[in-house]
Amino acid sequence: MSDFLVGYLSNQSNHQDPPRECDVLIIGGGLLGTSLAYYLSKEGTEVTLIEREEINREASGTNAGSFHFQIALHQLTPNMTESEKERLASEVRLQVDAAKLWDHLEEELDADLGVHFDGGIMVAETEEEMRVLRDKDEIEKSAGLESHILTGDEMRTFAPYLAPDLAGISFCPREGHANPLLVGPTYAYRATERGVNIRTDCGATSVEVLSGEKYRFKVTTNKGVIRANRIVNAAGAWTAELAAQVGLKLPMSLSGLHVNVTEPREYFLKSMVQHIGRRLTLKQTHNNTFIIGGGWPSRPEPYPKRYSNIWNSAAGNLAVALRVLPMLKDVKLIRTWTGVWAYTLDFKPILGESERIPGYHVAMVPTGFTLGPMVAQMLAQYMTAPKGSVRLPEEFRVDREIA
Amino acid sequence: MKSVNGNDVVVIGGGPAGIAAAATAASFGLRVALIDERVTLGGQIFKRVGPGFDLKERKSLGKDYSRGSDLIDEIQRPNVTLLTSTTVLTIEDGKVITSNPEEGIRSLDFQFLVIAPGAYDRPVAFPGWTLPGVMTAGAVQTMVKTQRISPGKRIFFAGSGPLALAFSAQLIGLGAPVVKVIESAPFPSPINALRLLSRIGGNLDLIRDAAKYRSVLLKARVPFRYGRIIVRAEGRGRLESITHAKADKEWNPIAGTEVTEECDALCVGYGFFPSHELFRLVDCSFEYDENRGGFSVIKDEWGATSVEGVYAVGDGTGVTGSYSAVAQGRLAGLQVASRAQRISDEKRDSLAQRYRRELRARNRFQAALNKMFDVGAGIYRLADSETVICRCESVKRGAIDPIIDSTDDVSAVKGISRAGMGLCQGRNCQRHIAAMIADRHKKPISAISFQTPRFPVKPVEIGAIADDSIREEKYFIT
Repeated sequence: MSDFLVGYLSNQSNHQDPPRECDVLIIGGGLLGTSLAYYLSKEGTEVTLIEREEINREASGTNAGSFHFQIALHQLTPNMTESEKERLASEVRLQVDAAKLWDHLEEELDADLGVHFDGGIMVAETEEEMRVLRDKDEIEKSAGLESHILTGDEMRTFAPYLAPDLAGISFCPREGHANPLLVGPTYAYRATERGVNIRTDCGATSVEVLSGEKYRFKVTTNKGVIRANRIVNAAGAWTAELAAQVGLKLPMSLSGLHVNVTEPREYFLKSMVQHIGRRLTLKQTHNNTFIIGGGWPSRPEPYPKRYSNIWNSAAGNLAVALRVLPMLKDVKLIRTWTGVWAYTLDFKPILGESERIPGYHVAMVPTGFTLGPMVAQMLAQYMTAPKGSVRLPEEFRVDREIA
Repeated sequence: MKSVNGNDVVVIGGGPAGIAAAATAASFGLRVALIDERVTLGGQIFKRVGPGFDLKERKSLGKDYSRGSDLIDEIQRPNVTLLTSTTVLTIEDGKVITSNPEEGIRSLDFQFLVIAPGAYDRPVAFPGWTLPGVMTAGAVQTMVKTQRISPGKRIFFAGSGPLALAFSAQLIGLGAPVVKVIESAPFPSPINALRLLSRIGGNLDLIRDAAKYRSVLLKARVPFRYGRIIVRAEGRGRLESITHAKADKEWNPIAGTEVTEECDALCVGYGFFPSHELFRLVDCSFEYDENRGGFSVIKDEWGATSVEGVYAVGDGTGVTGSYSAVAQGRLAGLQVASRAQRISDEKRDSLAQRYRRELRARNRFQAALNKMFDVGAGIYRLADSETVICRCESVKRGAIDPIIDSTDDVSAVKGISRAGMGLCQGRNCQRHIAAMIADRHKKPISAISFQTPRFPVKPVEIGAIADDSIREEKYFIT
């Protein structure tokens, strides 16, 4: 399974100086940048991708690799209006599309990416949470996402490892996961096969908009100047920082996350487990270890230092895990790590071309692992089609302002 | 989480350095908490005999045992809290967070923190090193000292440095059947021997010890072979024979000089690595010194690190041995007492004099010794493609080499091969992999970076950590 990574890494041209001129310059070698490079190259576009460190190093490689097709918890409230429900349904439809992309991705890239659809369980502890779970289930069904509600003995038979006194669960068979260490590098490898120039250890120090010249953008890097017709800002957590260089203000924020990993135990947990009212994602990997996270905070540190872990995040996160799966009590925690979650203030992707700076594109999505490849494909379609023939969703606009 | 608060000083590590620091600070009335993960104090070198064992031949354990007893007696005072069987998991926001099987998770506050984590055996992977019967010197020492068990009936010792001599002699003294000692370094050159002699001042005891150890070996007719290196251990299911060969200057085995001998226990001791996880967690600055065991924390003459209030003492700061460790502990204790205004700077300086003098003499001598037993890069080339490098995840050299061919990035090697991702979190293989990367990419090993430090420093049950009183910021459900 590591052949692709080794193949990708052995591509020594990654360390050469970047070309001086190109049509599309992608800044950022995460999942969005690499998948976009791949989809653009499929359409014959000339692409250069620069990455200041190594491909897939930040959130794209440090997230837990889960597909989140169910409605994101932070969007749910107990008494939702019809228009709120409709808005959520439209998001679920997007997620259903993403699920279809993941269905065929291993075939598309001709590689084992560790894609599995083992289903996702969402637990409710209280009756109030149960009501929200039923609402959520209804919205998801209306949007075409299969989901089942189970309570009482039905729940206990279906998932005997869960705490027996939970109020109930929903089960979404479409959910699953892929190996985050493989997906980005495989896209990168396939993109280079199609002629994309990938340059690592090559960071953009400044981006200038030119006028009246052959190229619209001048990007200065630690390995020389690159001129480009079009730019895609795919800098992940640093997207807003990079956009500010050309005067764009993006409605983004960052949040540091905490993740726990345990020693291996006999494999029994096929589906990922989440909690509708508390911060928890829990799954057993194919190495038989458990990865436990779900949005507990880590402490910001100045770049390039990684965010640091917070003890209380481990203690609180693991308590929620034990409330749901008490049998993990004597499993040992062996390591924690952190990742940075970049999100937009309205939780919608930022995707497309700036109206204020034509040629400047942004690709940023809050649930980046799940939706990244799909929004990259959408942006590639937009960028390769004749002007005006492909429209991206209005609510993803780059120049939008959020109150 | 329970707390043990009101500590002036927290000392992590109950070996020679930690006990000396705790005893010295406590002697000026400071409230000291001393943490050690073992059941009894003493660390490796002053290791106590295990519970339930009668100590009849105290002499056989050498004078280190009595030195240890004296030091341990010094901390039996009301202002010293001992937390044994207690593992440090992390240090965060001015608190040390620990785990103990009975007390669960406890946090300790402090004004001053002295970290004395000690060192662990330099792991060397050669074909057959994972066979039952092949053990590190530290493991054999624990077995013999605390359990009084001999590891085998025909024991070979392979390794390098003063320990090879001292330790073999100790084993023989305890009646363990040592057959041969294989030292990878060449017979001491006149230059090295002279350098050592010129620094003998203040180290006569060590020379006397060495002479005594040598005579034990001679008396027992145990051959001591210089300039040979272990290349292979073999056996069906357990160790049955070893093969050693003549070593060149870089400790590469010379073809055609192999000798195979039968044995049922092999004790491997190539010196030690400082245990620096805790220093890295609190973000101390490091320097590189191969002769002290590689990356070593930067500290001043009192042991103060680059982090305010944090002191570093003992072999965990660079391997210099137990005498030096005690002196370092004393100096840190004095400095802490002076900073806490329990003694004047003048008093501190006058009390410090003898320890400074001792430390200088010990360190000069140790440096000369290290030069004599300079570790050759060859020990990291012994593994073949079938040799396991990461024992926790069973990753063989053959799986790591192609990755290293294409990248010099430690994290990439780890992420792709899973080497270093198991229970020990790379303690055993990280250094080996760093050496493999350095070798392949012609870089100094000091240029190969660390893994990001993360808690828990040692594995711990989820049930012990989980704390239901900690609530997250709520999502939007109200």
